Amino acid sequence: MNLMEHMGIEPGRLQFSWISSAESTKFVEVVKDVTSSVKALGPNTTYKKQAVKVA
Amino acid sequence: MITFKLNGKTVQGEEGQYILQVAQKYGVDIPTLCHHKALEPAGMCRLCTVEVFDGRRSRFVTSCNYPIWEGMDVKTDSDAVHQGRKLIVELLMARCPDVPIIKDLAKKYDIPETRFRKEDDDCILCGLCTRICAKMGNSAISLTGRGVDMKVDTPFHIQTDVCMACGACASVCPTGHITLEKIRNSVTTKNFKPIPSEYDMGLKSRKPVYVPYAQAVPNTPAIDRSVCMHFKTGGCQVCTEFCGVNAIDHTMQDEVVELNVGSIILSPGYQPFDPSKFDSYGYAKHPNVITAMEMERILSASGPTQGHLVRLSDHKEPKKIAWFQCVGSRDMNKCDHAYCSSVCCMYAIKEAVIAKEHSGSDLDCAVFYMDMRTHGKDFERFYNTAKDKHGVRFIRSRVHTIEPVPGTDDLSIRYITESGESVTETFDQIVLSVGMEISPEVLEMAKNLNIELTPGNFCQTTSFEPVTTSRPGIYVCGAFQGPKDIPQSVIDSSAAAAAAGEILSSARNTLTKAREEIPEINVNGERPRIGVFVCRCGINIAGVVNVPSVAEYAATLPYVEYATDNLYTCSQDTQENLVSIIKQKNLNRIVVAACTPKTHEPLFQETITNAGLNKYLFEMANIRNHDSWVHKNNPEMATQKAKDLVRSAVAKVALTQPLSEAELQIKPSALVVGGGISGMAAAQSLAQQGYETHIIEKSSQLGGQARNLYHTAKGEDVQEKLSEMIQDIQKNERIHVHLEADLIQVDGFVGSFKSTLNAHGKEEVLEHGVAVIATGAAPLAPSEYAYGKDARILTSLELDRRFMNDDPSLKTLQSAVFIQCVGSREPERPYCSRVCCTHSIENALELKRRNPDMNIYILYRDIRSYGEREYLYKEAREKGVIFIRFSVDDKPRVSVDNGRLTVRITDHILGRPLELETDLVSLATAIVPNRDEKLANFFKVPLNADGFFVERHAKLGPSEFATDGVFLCGMAHYPKPIDESIVQGKAAASRAVTLLARENIHTSGTIAEVVPANCSSCGICVSVCPYSAPSFIEETARFNPGKAQINPVLCKGCGLCVASCRSGAIRLKGFDNDQIFAQIYALNA
Amino acid sequence: MAEFEPKIVSFLCNWCSYGAADLAGVGRMEYPPNIRVIRIPCTGRMSPKFFLSALAEGADAVWVSG
Repeated sequence: MNLMEHMGIEPGRLQFSWISSAESTKFVEVVKDVTSSVKALGPNTTYKKQAVKVA
Repeated sequence: MITFKLNGKTVQGEEGQYILQVAQKYGVDIPTLCHHKALEPAGMCRLCTVEVFDGRRSRFVTSCNYPIWEGMDVKTDSDAVHQGRKLIVELLMARCPDVPIIKDLAKKYDIPETRFRKEDDDCILCGLCTRICAKMGNSAISLTGRGVDMKVDTPFHIQTDVCMACGACASVCPTGHITLEKIRNSVTTKNFKPIPSEYDMGLKSRKPVYVPYAQAVPNTPAIDRSVCMHFKTGGCQVCTEFCGVNAIDHTMQDEVVELNVGSIILSPGYQPFDPSKFDSYGYAKHPNVITAMEMERILSASGPTQGHLVRLSDHKEPKKIAWFQCVGSRDMNKCDHAYCSSVCCMYAIKEAVIAKEHSGSDLDCAVFYMDMRTHGKDFERFYNTAKDKHGVRFIRSRVHTIEPVPGTDDLSIRYITESGESVTETFDQIVLSVGMEISPEVLEMAKNLNIELTPGNFCQTTSFEPVTTSRPGIYVCGAFQGPKDIPQSVIDSSAAAAAAGEILSSARNTLTKAREEIPEINVNGERPRIGVFVCRCGINIAGVVNVPSVAEYAATLPYVEYATDNLYTCSQDTQENLVSIIKQKNLNRIVVAACTPKTHEPLFQETITNAGLNKYLFEMANIRNHDSWVHKNNPEMATQKAKDLVRSAVAKVALTQPLSEAELQIKPSALVVGGGISGMAAAQSLAQQGYETHIIEKSSQLGGQARNLYHTAKGEDVQEKLSEMIQDIQKNERIHVHLEADLIQVDGFVGSFKSTLNAHGKEEVLEHGVAVIATGAAPLAPSEYAYGKDARILTSLELDRRFMNDDPSLKTLQSAVFIQCVGSREPERPYCSRVCCTHSIENALELKRRNPDMNIYILYRDIRSYGEREYLYKEAREKGVIFIRFSVDDKPRVSVDNGRLTVRITDHILGRPLELETDLVSLATAIVPNRDEKLANFFKVPLNADGFFVERHAKLGPSEFATDGVFLCGMAHYPKPIDESIVQGKAAASRAVTLLARENIHTSGTIAEVVPANCSSCGICVSVCPYSAPSFIEETARFNPGKAQINPVLCKGCGLCVASCRSGAIRLKGFDNDQIFAQIYALNA
Repeated sequence: MAEFEPKIVSFLCNWCSYGAADLAGVGRMEYPPNIRVIRIPCTGRMSPKFFLSALAEGADAVWVSG
């Protein structure tokens, strides 16, 4: 995590979870949580590779 | 074939087809309300109007019933057509202003308000209902009346028995005019109710064509003849119109199939007890009194409430739930089931914990029980956690009656607490923990097969042949053998398979067929030529994802030579077609975009090997389970996602290389570590199935703990049977017994182990393909209850010894006290030793047999005489054995004072201290595992906190280890009685034979590989691997000394070593870095 | 402006979360269509290189699930 902050990535852009193969309900819940939290963060601009500018 | 123009594009259709059918085939959307695939078109709603140009003039026709002809020119979206449809919608809007589907159309055609006089109807007179009713073969309803009076009705507007209440009319009605309620109240005179889903315990309904449940095998729908309309009227057959592959055949008949077999295994299972006969619980009357099986469905994510915990009466979330144990078990008064069902205590605790997890900690869960029977492996821990951590209340009380609380759906009960207090409590929901019973059908089968049953109607077996029925060649497993849980049933089933395998071993491989080997094409160095097959999966994918556009898109991706879509990619004919396309187009990489690789990858891999491709030149894009099924309301994004997934799969497959699978010979011999009863049973089974077997035993004789036992719970003489077994083993030429032998080294792995043993100071090396760990356990030497201070204080096994010696002094005893849980269920040993309750009861009965006047007391915490062992408990009470309960913080005290042996205990009923003067104290000591860390290291298998070995899977793999080729049985797994030890010995042998019988095994191709030049010999891979696959190459080796190497046989391809390698020296074939990066780049392209 | 639809690159363990995702499909449960799954044999395979590269390539987030 420190590495991420050091590199300028917001921690919310990397998420972890543990779901067993029988927990489909949990899977759906986590997908919803992850999606809404990323929506709240907005588009990833800080760490995105900048398009190569042609001088 | 008829060729014509549709919106300027040339299209083709069959003679006799209508415009709408052809348009749908080409994905051209034409709105319609009255069209149904299975019915003759009627042109009633007029919404499907299109413009047809015949060369001279244009006409408006209804496309649903206008046949196509050569050269016609059809326009479906011209301004004129749009204006015409707009008027039709406006008219419909006037007739039915409040119908959602019409409102949606008005929105689509941009009509804010109708110009015509509004009516208040919800029927558009499309006639779909009457046409489908005729199709069903009933014609109970039709369009009656004329002009403005026209409506859908029965003849003379009376309820009729012509209507079979099938509900087809309601299912096709586009506006919701016809409802099931309406059919019940004004159409049919028949009993109208949904078909209950058997799987969901009737809490949900199902269709006449159905798959019993999502995981059913085979996962194909079946038609329930008892409710299908076709089998009642000869009509319908609508399903055949929808099946894309003509798989439905209504003329199929039941067939009698005769099979010639050498053995039969009975596994008919049990049925849950039906509590509706218990009036006092009102199960049939109160909706909130449910069975535990119904609770299982309610808690299940795939259940009727999607796992949302609600009560049935009002779908409110319950705040208080009670479980009643022993409903239909341990009960002779109301249901004649004297046995314990073994599983209900544990499932009730599990349900209570899951309910709390679903609903949060404010949910109050109370379990009302007689004895808490958590005698399975790790069950006692679960019970303790439920109590201490989750706060589930456990109340020792049998509740007599459930009363409804007037004016509410709540339920009131009255019970007596342990301290004798009478309490009234109200619950939102009560779960009856119903037991197991054998169904009448199974009893009938048993009668026909002429096999003997027990008093509880279970299959009669003996302790030494626990899966053998009374009839030779017929074996039994699962709950029909006796009430049992999943692990025990799985052990049983393996054992029954071994028993059948023993008598049929000479027939092994006589009916197998060899597969035709297709030579592999060398694709090395070739430029990737990728074929992409996008599956429609009927409507499963194509109903949401625009499949043709995904295939079209795939064709534009780099290296893709060929892309197409299929109706069902997994069907036999498509598979054959796939092979010929691969050959024809010379494809060398394949992507199938369809369902999940977890179920279908092996099938497609086999298909491409039939075309000569290496099976690893393949990748799947999961556009069904991960896409169309979960985004059905968002077809656009689902299609975009499908394209992304296909792009990612194409990027990955382009980088795949052919991988090889090493072939490994399995040495056809076994090593059994431990010569106790379980190890001997394993060895006998292995030898009888044709494999050389070595038993190594550290003591000087075979038999293990069974040498100390007098009788089994069924009353069989253990020593007599044991000596028969030992003689049989000594006579068997395939079994080699090594006594006083110690394992000192184990090398190798599955298929080729090399074990060195030391017997009488002599070393010997044994080569074997598999190993069975059967090292057993030992009795605890007690340190409490004054043990060792007086010869009259014995352990259970010491008492057994006196029975065996027929000690005459036992007859003269006046009194005996048994103390249970000596060292079990204590903080330092938080498990139940499983056998002691039954053992003490059996010994108490034996003392009674020798001296019926003896006073016998059994001091216990919970009596755990599970299954039909319960009869012994009942018999003991009837014979006057007195049972006194104690709690772990107020244990009995044994003292020896001037030759007087006394036990003091607080009586749980009187609440007063009792003093028992006695001639004998028998201590039911715990069973303690050997905690053999050396052996665990030799075979790389784990031990749990208690010191027992840890099996591959607690439920589904109880007799084997996660490490390939190593198996487990007997008390090394968990304490168990003789019958269960034998059954697990056979089970371990059975699992071992599944490997041995294959003669050789193929390793996976997707495994890790070391690039020696990059390896820094740091050893991280060796330490992190859970399967012990990496090792160092010997320093003296000629190539790469000291570098790491990975054993392809042991590697499971998890990639842990790959990620942890600091030098980047390990690659995971099939999931290589470049492949994963390619996927990442493709997904972000 | 249309709502922001993030792209979430998801690394799912074949034996756990990938199976749960399959089962969610079998149960026809709906969830947002923003995740893009890369199947990995085990989360042990996960390396920081992967998520850094995904973010650098323009993913809005990375989700790793075992």
